Order: sequence, then structure tokens, then C-alpha cells
Amino acid sequence: MNKRYVMVHDENKCIGCQACNVACRSENGTPEGVTRLQVRVEGPFGQAPNLHFKYHRVSCQQCEDAPCVKVCPTGAAYVGEDGIVTIKEDKCVGCMYCVAACPYKVRFVNPETKATDKCNFCKDTRLARGELPACVTVCPTDALTFGDANEPDSEVAKLLNTKPSYQDKIHLGTKPRIYRIPTKRGGIES
Amino acid sequence: MNNIWGDMAQYDPVTWNWVIAVYLFMAGLSAGSVLIGIGMRWYSKDKLTESPILKAAAIIGPVAISLGLACLVFDLTKPFHFWVILVNYNFQSVMALGVLALLVYTPLGIAYGLIVLRDELPKWGLGFLSPVAEMLTGWRKAIEVVLFVLAVGVGAYTGFLISAMNAYPMLNTAVLPALFLVSGLSAGAAANSVVALLMFKVDSHDKELSRMHALELPVMATEIMFLFMLFCALYFKGGAAAVALASLTTGVWAGVFWIGVVGIGFGVPLLSMLMPAATRHTKGAMLMVACSGLTGVLALRHFILYAGQSYIY
Ligand code: SF4
Ligand code: SF4
Ligand code: SF4
Repeated sequence: MNKRYVMVHDENKCIGCQACNVACRSENGTPEGVTRLQVRVEGPFGQAPNLHFKYHRVSCQQCEDAPCVKVCPTGAAYVGEDGIVTIKEDKCVGCMYCVAACPYKVRFVNPETKATDKCNFCKDTRLARGELPACVTVCPTDALTFGDANEPDSEVAKLLNTKPSYQDKIHLGTKPRIYRIPTKRGGIES
Repeated sequence: MNNIWGDMAQYDPVTWNWVIAVYLFMAGLSAGSVLIGIGMRWYSKDKLTESPILKAAAIIGPVAISLGLACLVFDLTKPFHFWVILVNYNFQSVMALGVLALLVYTPLGIAYGLIVLRDELPKWGLGFLSPVAEMLTGWRKAIEVVLFVLAVGVGAYTGFLISAMNAYPMLNTAVLPALFLVSGLSAGAAANSVVALLMFKVDSHDKELSRMHALELPVMATEIMFLFMLFCALYFKGGAAAVALASLTTGVWAGVFWIGVVGIGFGVPLLSMLMPAATRHTKGAMLMVACSGLTGVLALRHFILYAGQSYIY
């Protein structure tokens, strides 16, 4: 496992348009009523006239130390060769232990397969075809960057080396692989 | 759906609902009842007659765990794939370890039940099981010891299951398994007296029964202490953990805690001790106290599960 796929969400560039959300649905055939990705628009923060919003991407954090994988009794939730946390549909019995254990609350039961589901960096769809994830490709402001952080020349590695970034809930020790570049006005919070 | 990012229904932090609370209750009850039944047999001098308490435990143990497992299976999103969980094991997962323990505990509980109730079987029209019971009797000692050890495991496991999630400050504490084990003991004692009184017509002044009652006060004191430790741990951890203490003062779960757990579960049995001995030892009073004990433990499982999941780090 020498790949370390990460995603960087630049909250300065994000406009909360949900294009990524929609692209993800259509690429991965996510059924009605559930979703792998939301960009929540939080705020406004600050004093008028200097109001600003915060764009909070809510999706699987692809934890390096993933609680969902640890608790799954059958091994249906597993870490693949490429380091991506995914679910083997036919091994999942739907005990919901992973849904409860995920500190980011991004797992859900797919109403069609009855197995749990979540973002897997488009592993079975676009990544398998050698393309970038749907949400990354479609973003109109290029707020998303995806790649192998172990590759020093990759765009993500450069970005993480040059800009300040943070991850959500790192105090839980999950080592999330979604990095966020905070809004300049927003400051850093997690 | 009125925000642009879509439906929020899937983000409800409460994932496991009352069905799981009932399962946790049943598993704790089964383990507690078996532990008390076997423990009292070891302690008692008379090893030849099966005491009504042991007979009660021999029924409650396997029946409660089977009902609990039925809850668990039907709560799966794919109940008919439950066998998948029996053939794949991730040894990192507390649930997988629990499944292994239950896989041995449940049949052993049934086997032990047959041994203890061997004289009862023909009366209940289950005479065809008598040869099986006879055959198993030779293994009694071994079955008893293994069952006892597994019962400790099952009782604590229900707590480990939900404490293994670092997302929830109220659940992710080391006292939870201990709290669940002792509250399982108090549920087990209560259920044993109900069944012994109603099914095996034990006299309410029976020596074994009063010996079991003598256990109840220290068990309850330990339970209260563990609950206190749980809340102290949250308080001193501060931050999101301390926020979870709001579950004691606000919302429906505060009601469940103060009325169900404290009032009915601890209050009624404690107050009953103030009753004159003659009233206290009537069958009616004993049944009432036992039922409030059971209600309290059931309420505790609900409180911990729901309040625990409502507060997230
Ligand atoms: S964010 Fe949740 S679902 Fe994703 S890897 Fe981490 S624990 Fe698992
Ligand atoms: S719901 Fe499925 S993936 Fe999640 S822990 Fe249970 S078996 Fe594993
Ligand atoms: S990486 Fe793929 S699955 Fe994950 S949010 Fe983006 S589009 Fe959806």
C-alpha cells in the first residue's frame, strides 16, 4: 500500500453550488433520499457588511485509521490495496455497527442494496477507468484536488505543502484523508 | 428537504434504536440470571436438589438470549443474510468476538437448562428430551464452568459493544462494560425471583430466595457507583463529553433516567426495604419489587443507548 489518495477541498474557492453532489449521484447511481456527499453552507459568520459563509464538505473522510473498518464484524468494510476504505456489498449484513461508529456520520444504508454505502473516491467507477473522481472533475471553481499524496510531484502534495490545511475531528485519531483549506476570513476550526 | 444540499434524514446520529436496547437488556438479563443461578449453586451446601432459583435461571438464561438474538437478527437490514456474520470474522471487531461467544453460550445454556430441568421435562410434555438430558448430565461440571465464564463475557460484552465507538463520549468509556455487567446481575436476580415465585411456587420466605435478596443491595450500590463514575468521567473530560451531561436534565431521556432508572429501578426496591418485614416478604411485594428492578434495567439500556448516541464528539 504505497499509494495515499487524498482529497483537498479549498473552502476559499468553494461556492456551495452542489455540482459535486449532483455529479456524485449520477456517477455512482446513488438512490433517492440518500447521498454520499453534501456541501453544507454554514453561516453567515462575522459582522455585516463583512459576512461570510463556511462551506463544509460532508463525505467519507477515508480515515487511515477507520473506525468503520475496525468494528465491522464480517470484514465487509475493508481497506483495499490502494488504501481506499470500501464496502463489500455481499459481505455486509446491515448490522449498522459501522454507521453508528463513524464519527463523521457519513455512512448510510443504500435502500436498493440494503448494504451500507458511502464515498469511495469513485473507486469502482471513475478511478477504475483511470479518471479523476466525478466531484473533482465537475467542480466549476476547481475547489477540489485529488491525487496520491505519496507522490511528491502530485498536485495534492504541492498544495498541502504550500497552503495551510486542516482535517475534521483529528483528536479522534482517525487520520482523515480529506484536507480542507480554510477560508481566510474563517480561521481554522475542526 | 429545504436546504440546497439535500435531505438530512440519513445524518441522524441515533443509529441503533430500541430493538438494540431490548437486545442489550435480554443479553444482560440472560447472563445475569445464569451467573446468579450457578453462583448460588456453588455457594450452597446442598448440591443434590435443584433449587427453584437455579431452575428459574435454567429457563431464563436460554430463553432471554434467544429472544435477544431474534431482535438482533430482525434488526439487520438483511436479516436473511445473518449467516454471513457466522462465517466471516474480523477479530478486531467487538461484535465478531461477541458472535463467537454467543455461538457457544447459547447452545450451552440450552444444554445446561436441560440438565437442571431434567425432572421437569416429562411434566411439560417434553419427555422426549429426557434421554438428551441424561446424556448431558455427565458433563455437568464442565458445562457449568464454561457457561459461567461465558456468561461473564456476554454480560460485559453488551457494554463493550457500544463502548468501542469513539464517536460518542457517553458510550466510549471504560465503565460501561462493568455497569452493564452489574445491571445485568440485578436484572437476573429480579427475573429469577419472578420465575421462581410464579413457576416453581417457591415460598417467599425460602432461604435461597432471601440469600439472593441479600445480594441485591450490594449489586445496586455498585451499579449506582458505576453510573456516578460514568457521569464524573464525562464531567472531567470536559468539552463535547461534558455537553453530553445535558441528557440528564433535558429531553425525554432525562425523564427516562430519573423516573425509569432512578425512581422505579433504584427507588422502589430501596423504599421497599423500609416496609415491615411481614409485608416485604409477601409474594405480591416481592413480585412488585422484582418487576420494578427489571423496568429500571430496561430503562437504563434505553437511556444509555439513546442519550449516548445523541451526543457526538
Ligand atoms: S469517515 Fe466514516 S465511513 Fe469514512 S472511513 Fe472514516 S469512519 Fe469510515
Ligand atoms: S453494516 Fe455492513 S459494513 Fe457495516 S459493520 Fe455491519 S456488516 Fe459491516
Ligand atoms: S469521490 Fe466520487 S464517490 Fe466520493 S464524493 Fe466525489 S464523486 Fe462522490
